[in-house]
Amino acid sequence: MSFEVLLALGFAFGIGFGYFVQRAGFCIAVGLAEIYMGHGKRIAKLLALIFAITSVGFLLSGHFNPSLGLKPIGQIRGFGFYNLAAGMLFGAGILLNGGCILGTLRQIGEGNLTFVVVLLSFIPGMAIVVHVLDPLLVHGYHVQKPLLSGLLGAPASYVTLALAIAATAWLVRLHRRSTKGRRGASLSDTGTMDGGEGTSRERRAG
Amino acid sequence: MPISSRQARPLLFAAGFALLNVAMYFALGKFWIGGSSFLPMIGELGPEKKFLFAFIVNMGVIAGAFLGATSSREFRLRWPRPALLPKAILGGVLIGVGVTLAPGTCTTAFVTGLPMLSVSSFLSAAGIFIGGFIVFQFTMRRVAR
Repeated sequence: MSFEVLLALGFAFGIGFGYFVQRAGFCIAVGLAEIYMGHGKRIAKLLALIFAITSVGFLLSGHFNPSLGLKPIGQIRGFGFYNLAAGMLFGAGILLNGGCILGTLRQIGEGNLTFVVVLLSFIPGMAIVVHVLDPLLVHGYHVQKPLLSGLLGAPASYVTLALAIAATAWLVRLHRRSTKGRRGASLSDTGTMDGGEGTSRERRAG
Repeated sequence: MPISSRQARPLLFAAGFALLNVAMYFALGKFWIGGSSFLPMIGELGPEKKFLFAFIVNMGVIAGAFLGATSSREFRLRWPRPALLPKAILGGVLIGVGVTLAPGTCTTAFVTGLPMLSVSSFLSAAGIFIGGFIVFQFTMRRVAR
């Protein structure tokens, strides 16, 4: 397959990703804010479902094609210190501007041009690391790429299935809670089905 | 535990995203990635131009989100408000630093890295939770004052 065809297929898959993300109203920044505020958990439900499906799918891919299967994403740098630091910077950034990577791309697609500014602001941040920090820090990176199953010394299928079942159980628990909360609210408040439930997207999400 | 169609719809779309990610892995041997996909904006295309591929996928994400927004009548052109720009720029720069300092540290950790059982993604997710919490506390205190 030529690289041009690969790019065209990638773009087509991207359209699908974007459509689903927009219709689901998915954004990690919103999900974190919901967790910190202690209510909602709308994005947590979506994340649990995505985890359950994707983890089983990735695991099965190795059985159909040995060149696929589970692969480490990214790298552990500096025995995890750089991952934690980078995560904290990223977490701070998405809470500041209100959009993770998918959230930023979704908002641009929805016509919110503030997120074009956010996207362009990635450039100086990335350039600082590639051209200034990387040359200074590269000797301390000690790059490692372990998988959780290797770290635990357990077969990947057992670890994946255990986590997928846990994610599904969490999803069911969150759904039960939100259903109970909605029933209570509709009985005690206005008596209407949609009374005081927030934005249309939040209502849609339940 | 009945699930109304209003509640089920976002879950179905999230399931669609997850299945598409798996389908792309089966079909092309590649999965969705976020942060590193923007490195081509500073001229870094990655080994075998994998960042360029991811960048094109994410340009498709914008097109797909536009399609979803127009089909659901949620598309609305909103110009940047000057008061929001400093936060947007600072947030963007922090994201740029974060995603490059440790590859795989972004939304990728949640939708691709954790399902792959990648230990770096578990560490990144912990960092994201802590960093977000600090900013959230700081913001809430300012709002409370």
